[in-house]
Amino acid sequence: MVENGATAAHVLVIGSGGAGVRAAIEAAEHGSVVLLSKTIAGKGGCTPMAEGGYNAVLREGDDPALHAADTLKGGAYLNDPALVDALVTEAPDRMRELLAWGAVFDVGSEEGVAQRPFGGQQRPRTCYAGDRTGHEMMVTLMDRLAATDVEVVHECAAVELLLEAGRCKGAAALDSEGRLGVYLADGVVLATGGGTRVYDISTNSSSGTGDGYALGYRAGAEVIDMEMVQFHPTGAIQPYDARGRLVTEAVRGEGGRLLNRLGERFMSRYDPERMELSTRDVVARAIATEVLEGRGTERGGVWLDVTHLSPGEIERRLPIMLEQFLAFGVDIRTEPMEVAPTAHHIMGGLRITPDCATTLPGLYAAGECSGGVHGANRLGGNALAETQVFGRRAGRSAGLEPERPKGVTPAIERQLGALRLRFDDYLDGEVPPPSVVRRLRQTMWQGAGIFRDEAGLAGALAGVELLKNQRLFAATERNLLECCTAANQCLLASLICRAALLRPECRGAHMRRDADCSTPPNASRYGHTFLSLTREGIEEVA
Amino acid sequence: MAAVTIRVSRFDPASGEPARLVPYTVEVREGARVLHALHAVHEQDPTLAYRYCCGSGQCGSCAVRVNGRPGLACMLPVADGDVVEPLDLPVVRDLVVDLVPRLARIAAFLPGGEQDLPDRETVEALKDLCHCIECGSCISVCPAVTVTDFAGPTAMRQLERLRLDPRDTGDRTLLATEEGLFCCTSCQACAEVCPKEIRIPGKAIERLRAEANRRGMTLPRHAEVAALVRKTGRSVDRTITPLFERVESVLEPYGPVRGEVAFFIGCIYSMRLPETALDAIEVLRRNGIRVIVPKEQVCCGSPLIRTGQLADLARLQATNRAALAPYPIVMTMCAGCGSTLKHDYGNLPFRVMDFNEVLAEFGIEPPARLPLTVTYHDPCHLLRGQGISEQPRALIREVADLVEMEARCCGSGGGVKAGNPAEAEALGERRREAIAATGAEQVITSCPFCEFHIRAHTDRPVRHVASLLLEGYKKKDAEAASAPDQPSG
Ligand SMILES: Cc1cc2nc3c(=O)[nH]c(=O)nc-3n(C[C@H](O)[C@H](O)[C@H](O)COP(=O)(O)OP(=O)(O)OC[C@H]3O[C@@H](n4cnc5c(N)ncnc54)[C@H](O)[C@@H]3O)c2cc1C
Ligand code: SF4
Ligand code: SF4
Ligand code: FES
Repeated sequence: MVENGATAAHVLVIGSGGAGVRAAIEAAEHGSVVLLSKTIAGKGGCTPMAEGGYNAVLREGDDPALHAADTLKGGAYLNDPALVDALVTEAPDRMRELLAWGAVFDVGSEEGVAQRPFGGQQRPRTCYAGDRTGHEMMVTLMDRLAATDVEVVHECAAVELLLEAGRCKGAAALDSEGRLGVYLADGVVLATGGGTRVYDISTNSSSGTGDGYALGYRAGAEVIDMEMVQFHPTGAIQPYDARGRLVTEAVRGEGGRLLNRLGERFMSRYDPERMELSTRDVVARAIATEVLEGRGTERGGVWLDVTHLSPGEIERRLPIMLEQFLAFGVDIRTEPMEVAPTAHHIMGGLRITPDCATTLPGLYAAGECSGGVHGANRLGGNALAETQVFGRRAGRSAGLEPERPKGVTPAIERQLGALRLRFDDYLDGEVPPPSVVRRLRQTMWQGAGIFRDEAGLAGALAGVELLKNQRLFAATERNLLECCTAANQCLLASLICRAALLRPECRGAHMRRDADCSTPPNASRYGHTFLSLTREGIEEVA
Repeated sequence: MAAVTIRVSRFDPASGEPARLVPYTVEVREGARVLHALHAVHEQDPTLAYRYCCGSGQCGSCAVRVNGRPGLACMLPVADGDVVEPLDLPVVRDLVVDLVPRLARIAAFLPGGEQDLPDRETVEALKDLCHCIECGSCISVCPAVTVTDFAGPTAMRQLERLRLDPRDTGDRTLLATEEGLFCCTSCQACAEVCPKEIRIPGKAIERLRAEANRRGMTLPRHAEVAALVRKTGRSVDRTITPLFERVESVLEPYGPVRGEVAFFIGCIYSMRLPETALDAIEVLRRNGIRVIVPKEQVCCGSPLIRTGQLADLARLQATNRAALAPYPIVMTMCAGCGSTLKHDYGNLPFRVMDFNEVLAEFGIEPPARLPLTVTYHDPCHLLRGQGISEQPRALIREVADLVEMEARCCGSGGGVKAGNPAEAEALGERRREAIAATGAEQVITSCPFCEFHIRAHTDRPVRHVASLLLEGYKKKDAEAASAPDQPSG
């Protein structure tokens, strides 16, 4: 049945981004750990792509309470305050830990790690390693991981969580040859990252397919606020195949100007005070509006211009952007960049306690696949901090699970049998996954994008349901994983649409054109949206 | 949308068949990268195995060889006719190579030293070495990795990065020597292919070797060379009178003066292969170039720099700088000397040109053609050290038919021939195979180390570009002498 054998460990961690690796390091203090990674560990996910930085209160004059206030305000008060509290209190310790483990962050003129100002924050508290902060964190964490006994399973993806009497007992996984493996543990940590690859235009890596939301949901765990998708205002438009590639916020921070086709500095219409430095949601909607109203470029974007800065300044302050655009044939010293909003981050996710317990016993979640930390909108720099604070907490909680018998029980056999049937269906299917995914992305971009309304969302949901029912086709066993991933994307897309339909208000990143947008967020009567196999709804504050 | 046809290497370990190139025609959009073409191929043929993740040059998953050269599939633009193959590492399937065991040789940070971030200056030095995305490209082109247990270029990069970090507690220099620090031939292949442009030989390996030297861990054979240089100003024994002592200071051309170079002959050409240097002088004089031989020249320092023995370097550099200062053009013929003068001497008041560059720039009288098929061995310090590749080929084609051979280090550089002879032999034998495969009758090169070393590893004559040219001129002269007199009037 299980040709790749069953592996048992005390803790199973799924995902090798910042959160997963941090969880594995922590869990190793408590017993044996297996880390499953869809990619070569450390290379997958969005952590190595993160450029901007990591938020932590490190200096006199700043205060965790200020960090919390900024995070809550940025999150339109939808955040879970207990999670925010954990984030702001522990982010500094986790930063110091990274430094003790060898991370090379920039130092400024003052002593210690340099910190820069980031959108929506009252103090400069974003630590950075040039514009490759996430990469530096990942290298550091992988080094630390190497010093533990954690067994790393590269290029092996969890496709289903395994359950026994209402408890998560592990996961079934496919390796790159399409062989099924079974991993059993006392505690399971999901750290699979985000999923904005369900949108036509996205900043995410190839593993941003939302596996964690789908696995958790199918196993019975509850997800919250899935409608909260952050659109970064500036994604590159060209070349087409690399569309959505992040153009860092630092470009605007350094004085970049947004211009429409007519050469108007249009932010004056949307936020005359903060102009280009307004929050991500405002700028993204402003750009989208310009394009919708016909003032965009031919390719459906706007110009982001730094040519008023001297070439020297550009070379010094935006070296990576200069290099990246040059690689694609645009010299930003003399030409503007063409940009448009791009799906960047999923704020929603598995509902967790501050100890990272999901609603499914035995299952923990950390990082972008969990929800509640960022509320309705994430501040730049908070996600990397989240991976460390909650990665550690999840690893610890899973590690503290008592030892239980671990075996391939009849209940698990039954689930594996069902999985086998699904695989047989794929091998026998009709529609290649790329064609489903392509249509899914367009459907989501059109119906569940920056601007939403009930009709559009309902239409998108219907479209997604149709795609969900397509009979995916795997040409060989090695293509089974693609089918599983496409199915996960369809499920994630439906969760986003359903949640978006559940929230009849404008809140943070969720912009309903058919709803009231005048209530200030802190006066909203709504809490989290929630979806699980057994219930769905939106919390209302009495 | 435009159609491109690319050939992609397919390999199925279960088939028992070797890898083969399969053509695929796919539609791509403007600006598409190799990765996007691979996506399109994958849609046509879902059995294609390839890796990628970030799509933006940040994760190092997607490195492949495009037209023979390693690079990131997600960053390289795709063009019609591209050939996409896996990196030259053990192949798992199609474009997927077994990267993890190689990456496992990259040392991990050992905490326990200072807790706080080092000062700004140290951080800046560290940052230079931190950009590696572990794509494996450098490992895949490193000659030393193929014949020794060398941990590879990026492993050395990491050891230097750790050595510089006061928070790390490992003995990185010692570990580097155990991991093959002295196996590096300084061929620069790793630097050439690194997508993050990390110059590992200069930024890590030479610095680790210098530290090893400070700690008395230099290989005895390298130390002998340094002692010799200290004593004699030359890196080889004085078994003959060095050429520059034997020839006149100024060698006038045979015809009108079209140019002038000061000839930095270098230790090996002066004392081991003087005939080759004399051939070069003949060719220059024939082509109207006055050759000046500064008598005070000493060893350029390359054997010391490459092996990390820097104590006497400044003195050598000062002597050479003074000896060469009066001349606007200094010509080198040894690829190692040329690369060293160009890169390790800071700003010089004169222009350094390789012999091949000089001829290409001044132009040459056409020699007679020889009925000969030759291949060309690119000296590492000429090809990658100085970016000189086309000039010698053009010169060779004036005289003979040229068949190409893959550019690969012969094993004689970086002190490896002296310090690690078995490795040099093994790499030399690889050249033997490559040379034999071309079917060429002779091997032409442009570096005394290569010339010397490859001679021991092939049954064909190994000669310098100059010697080949000179033979062409001699034939031309002989033909002119035997030809019936042209009727005059
Ligand atoms: C371009 C970009 C720039 C960003 N910049 C910043 C920034 O400057 N500051 C900031 O705070 N945030 C930033 N973010 C957001 C931040 O990077 C992410 O939210 C965060 O890194 C997520 O970390 P993670 O560990 O949860 O998941 P990821 O880092 O995404 O890792 C997920 C891991 O799970 C693995 N995986 C997925 N599915 C499976 C499966 N089924 N089985 C096994 N393994 C699986 C993947 O291979 C991957 O290793 C940025 C995001 C992007 C895309
Ligand atoms: S210079 Fe050549 S031998 Fe040395 S590490 Fe680089 S590739 Fe290997
Ligand atoms: S040093 Fe450069 S070539 Fe080598 S693995 Fe790192 S990024 Fe790749
Ligand atoms: S896919 Fe990450 S570097 Fe190319």
